[in-house]
Amino acid sequence: MSDTKIKKQEEPWQGGVAKNITFIVTKDCQLACKYCYLVGKNEKERMSWETAKAAIDYVLDREEEFPQESVVWDFIGGEPFLEIDLIDRICDYIKTELYRRDHHWFDSYRFSFSTNGINYDSEKVQRFINKNLSHLSIGITIDGTRRKHDLNRIWKGSGPERGSYDDVVRNIPLWLEQFPGGGTKVTISSADIPYIKESVLHLYGLGIHEVNINVVFEDVWKEGDDRLFEDQLMELADAIIDGGWYESCSCSFFSENIGKPLDPELENQNWCGAGMMLAVDAAGNFYPCTRFAAYSLRSKKPLIIGNVRDGIDQDKLRPFLTLDRLTQSPQKCIDCEVASGCAWCQGENYDAADTDTIYQRSTAICLMHKARVRANNYYWNKLFRKLELEGKKEEYEKNKPEANASLTC
Amino acid sequence: MIVQLCDTSASFCHYPNTRAERKLISVEALRKALRMAMCENMTVQFLYPDYALPSEYVELIESVDHAKVAPVGVTDEADIVVLPSLDRADEVKEGDTVCVRISRAELCDSVEALSALLRRVTRLNVSLTDSHTAVPEELPAYADALDRLGETVKEEYARGHFVQLNLLTDRLMLKQMNNCNAGAETVTLAPDGKFYICPAFYLEGDSPVGDPDAGIEVPNAQLYALSHAPICRSCDAWHCRRCVWLNRKRTLEVNTPGRGQCLTAHAEREASRRLKERMDAAAPGNMFNEIEKLDYTDPFEKVSR
Repeated sequence: MSDTKIKKQEEPWQGGVAKNITFIVTKDCQLACKYCYLVGKNEKERMSWETAKAAIDYVLDREEEFPQESVVWDFIGGEPFLEIDLIDRICDYIKTELYRRDHHWFDSYRFSFSTNGINYDSEKVQRFINKNLSHLSIGITIDGTRRKHDLNRIWKGSGPERGSYDDVVRNIPLWLEQFPGGGTKVTISSADIPYIKESVLHLYGLGIHEVNINVVFEDVWKEGDDRLFEDQLMELADAIIDGGWYESCSCSFFSENIGKPLDPELENQNWCGAGMMLAVDAAGNFYPCTRFAAYSLRSKKPLIIGNVRDGIDQDKLRPFLTLDRLTQSPQKCIDCEVASGCAWCQGENYDAADTDTIYQRSTAICLMHKARVRANNYYWNKLFRKLELEGKKEEYEKNKPEANASLTC
Repeated sequence: MIVQLCDTSASFCHYPNTRAERKLISVEALRKALRMAMCENMTVQFLYPDYALPSEYVELIESVDHAKVAPVGVTDEADIVVLPSLDRADEVKEGDTVCVRISRAELCDSVEALSALLRRVTRLNVSLTDSHTAVPEELPAYADALDRLGETVKEEYARGHFVQLNLLTDRLMLKQMNNCNAGAETVTLAPDGKFYICPAFYLEGDSPVGDPDAGIEVPNAQLYALSHAPICRSCDAWHCRRCVWLNRKRTLEVNTPGRGQCLTAHAEREASRRLKERMDAAAPGNMFNEIEKLDYTDPFEKVSR
């Protein structure tokens, strides 16, 4: 075994072979994060048990139409744990039905949550976690330092702004105890850029070894943001390398596999997994991804592909399942010398498009991606030089992990 | 440029036109559009209503090179005669090019009437009104009807009448995709004096894509081109109309056909292949295309991830 370690980003459970089925259990949340893409959050649209059961029955009744090896049952909001009673009932029903039907997903399933962490330590949530621990993936979103977190992640309601940092950070030790490899998702918007370095290091300091961080896809960027972003990432690179954090912690901004041109034929696949997954909302409507539900869209009508009563309209899935990179990309992206790793969100593409189409790629993050690539190059050049000077480069190359090509969305 | 002269102009394609109230395009809008067509080297097709046009319109129309698409009986000069129903097939003249809109079930029930028409016309365009709803179970009956129509085509060829039936003979003669191309190569001037992707987009209340003063600007125009249609660009049902209006209706995307449209086009392609085999036996050395037998009935199967 090599003692030269660079922590690799964790692969998602059964990545590439699992079907993701998402329950939008509520459109309510305790927070009103400023960068949240959910523009239509509300307290009224809560999923009923009848709708949830109908969705589960629809999927399990059609085993041949869902042949994927495994399944990830995702719960999303708003804040999903606001509906812990419903979720508990849903998960019990799924487990019972998988067993009763001798379904091929029995013992090959996960329940997955992305939570704001506020009621993580509540009795009901903890009871649920302890009951399902071996089949759970839970990520708590904490954005970094108090000032970075509280800049965006504020409590809902009128009156003076109140950040949620203290309400979340107190639950981090319990969460890491239950999920020692737990990662957090950090979102960067324009105002957050100055706090990237301190925030990532702060999260490492809290014991979170996996920081999945990305810039928002929406067109929020101001002139000069790319330069600030690059500077922050380079400072972060210095800190990670000089502090030796790279051995035990990962930050998704830095990857060996980004910033290369893409082959038009061999690397023509779509980035986003919309259409491969299935989301259902409180009304029982099916979507290719939650980002196509009404509460996620600023300027377009929801893109509904069916409902729990009438089923999935396969015709409406065809555009998603035949979508490739070149067909949706403008020429500048096709010709881009640093195209690899430049992500897109099909829902945001749809929302920002000139017409009602998923085939027009938004390029709002173009400059930010290029800045990331420059900083990423700096990171790897610096790190490899360090390893070389320490006589560890050859050893690392020999034991290097395989490239991670999974979808990131 | 397709010019729909009136709201009641007969449909010659997949879309229905249920409008009964007459609304004729203004002379001024027509004049501007025709000037634009000449300046832009556009060919012009006029879609006629079922009544006689005022003389000033006739005069304007005759001032440009054009084709007339008119309901049967409206004018002796129609380049394409639109039959509102097969009941009026007797009104079609020998040698006409005829368009008829019928459902698959009607086609299956009307093989005799269509065969009779084929014996008299130069070309018959059948526009199915429900190709988009086809499911595999319904296709054997459709294939059988096409084979019976193919028999008529073969007989006509044997007697030196080289009749064309779009559903069968187009695929035998085409060398590449030959689709409607609305939005990419054609645009429609509607009775409101504005441009639309095609008459169906106008009749459905879509936003216009320009007018003769401002010009034509189709948003996301690339999506109407074959190059940006992942399923169609890998398909060889070259005769398929590849209707962007039906595409959007079924899949919400103009560049993606629904399964029904693909199944129907492939049933026709396969019927063309069978007809070619029969033609080869009857008239070896004919100039028709060889058509490969496929192992799929919907090109989505080979394109999808």
